Amino acid sequence: MALLETENLVKEFGGLVATDDVNLSIEEGERVSIIGPNGAGKSTLINLITRRLDPTSGDIRFKGESIVNRDPHEVVQMGVSKSFQTASIFSNLTVRENAEIAALASEHGSFGFKLLQHRDSLDEVHEVAADTLDAVGLLGQADRTASELPYGDKRRLEIGIALAAEPDLLLMDEPTAGMSPEETEATVDLVEEVKRELGLTFVLIEHDMEIVFSISDRIVVLNRGQIIAEGTPDEIRGNPAVQEAYLGGVEL
Amino acid sequence: MSDEAATSDGALAQLAGIWKPRGNEARVMAGTAIVLALFPFVFSRMPVVSGFLQGYQSLATLILVWGIFALGFDLLLGYTGLLSFGHAAFWGGAAYAAGVFSQYVSGSPILMVLAGTTFAVLLAWFLGFLSLRRGGIYFAILTLAFAQMLFYMSSSPLAFITGGENGFTGVETAELFGIFALESELPLFPLEMLLGTWLYVFVAAIALLCIALGYRILNSPYGMVFRAIRENEQRAEFVGLNVWRYRLMSFIISGFFAGVAGSLFVIHGTYVPLSSLYWTASGEVVIMTVLGGTGSLFGPLIGAGIYLYVENIVSGFDTIGPFWHLILGVVFVVTIWVFPRGIWGFVRDVRDRVTGGDD
Repeated sequence: MALLETENLVKEFGGLVATDDVNLSIEEGERVSIIGPNGAGKSTLINLITRRLDPTSGDIRFKGESIVNRDPHEVVQMGVSKSFQTASIFSNLTVRENAEIAALASEHGSFGFKLLQHRDSLDEVHEVAADTLDAVGLLGQADRTASELPYGDKRRLEIGIALAAEPDLLLMDEPTAGMSPEETEATVDLVEEVKRELGLTFVLIEHDMEIVFSISDRIVVLNRGQIIAEGTPDEIRGNPAVQEAYLGGVEL
Repeated sequence: MSDEAATSDGALAQLAGIWKPRGNEARVMAGTAIVLALFPFVFSRMPVVSGFLQGYQSLATLILVWGIFALGFDLLLGYTGLLSFGHAAFWGGAAYAAGVFSQYVSGSPILMVLAGTTFAVLLAWFLGFLSLRRGGIYFAILTLAFAQMLFYMSSSPLAFITGGENGFTGVETAELFGIFALESELPLFPLEMLLGTWLYVFVAAIALLCIALGYRILNSPYGMVFRAIRENEQRAEFVGLNVWRYRLMSFIISGFFAGVAGSLFVIHGTYVPLSSLYWTASGEVVIMTVLGGTGSLFGPLIGAGIYLYVENIVSGFDTIGPFWHLILGVVFVVTIWVFPRGIWGFVRDVRDRVTGGDD
């Protein structure tokens, strides 16, 4: 059974069809990249999966269960985590608190953990937060206020928050957008490392073709809301329809 | 020992464990207790100082009462980032509930506080459920509208209970534990000098409990979640937090504190003025909180103290007294101008500079 499936998924904004009959299937442990020209509907698709947007029609199933009637926080509880395109962090909290929030939210359900319990006694949460910060290389700066971090570190923290929720599926919306080449490289290494150690399933939206071709098991190409091709990096590289629509006929 | 007994032992130990002071708590509470114990003496009886301050016992009590109200309000405004403009509903609502309770059921101060607080919590649950559908200015206006509805209701349709324009005059407070008349002074010499009346002891004990409770909430997962929601609502939703329910919880918690304070307000004044439900009461608690410093536990208490001091003492000065509203406005504007994070924010900055940021 696929971890995530969309079935005839359609999203219309007025007259514009942003997602057009998309049937997508992500297997457990897979790394899938979604690419496509600007306006192809990549972000809409992610927003539908995370339940930020309601689909016009069609179904989305996670672990075999339909999630179209769930709230965003419930979908996160089920194991779908998202890292944002911008550094969406809790700026005035410390780096450690940023990770702890995410760990708390996933460990203790969406609501109802103890109002009067002191945070010091939540050992598991501290452990998960520390492990996550270690994994993204921010443990040394755990007590700094998040807003003080350089941009690249903020993005790593952003990914860390997504990881601290201990997801089964991680959706990454352009994780390297706005990063310097060094930061990009470090982020790619981070993704590789997380994949190796946690065996996570990834869905990646990315513009940088080098990254896409190097880390994906499978690539899905969207154009005007439709899937026009999908396959291994090699298959996509040689696909004439993709070259025409997305790469503008340029040889890769 | 059977498994069942072992489990219940474990549960008991856990329950006891929750109340064990952790981190700074014991120190902060001890410090607070000392300040609360010395406050009425310094404010109203200490030679020289009290002559300069011109404070009096009853005002010291009133400052604590409003301080509890502002403390709870700040949990909502300063931590969760929601500006309610209708907290008079819980303050005044609890005041009426406690007053009516004292006339018809029991005048025990403790039961009055329980009755008023229960009423405020239920009301906060209901109004929060309705108001929190919208954020920002809409939330502020909705809470204001609901509070004004209650004001209107008690001013005429419910006047047969509330006394309408005259306020509720039938408050009948009994002795604390059936022994201590609240207005009477403490028996032993140093205690009487220090604390004054039983009423102050009662209010200060509850204030200390409220501060301990507030401090614990801020150090519980909730405190962190509240701040996270204020910082970045969208992110909070996408780490799996049910933002709406946490906001409601935060609203109810602040309603709880407003309820405790409103009940004490009745016990202190043995009267419920209609104005306790008026929008100005909502405005006053906003001003106290912002003046003292949002996002802190003690700031709002200081804000309440300064506000009430100007309102009750400065207004009595022959020279500038008649202009006390103006003075309050100037104090507010200058404070916010010079210390954007309120008086407590300024105190904290100074302390950080002196101690090198060690908290």
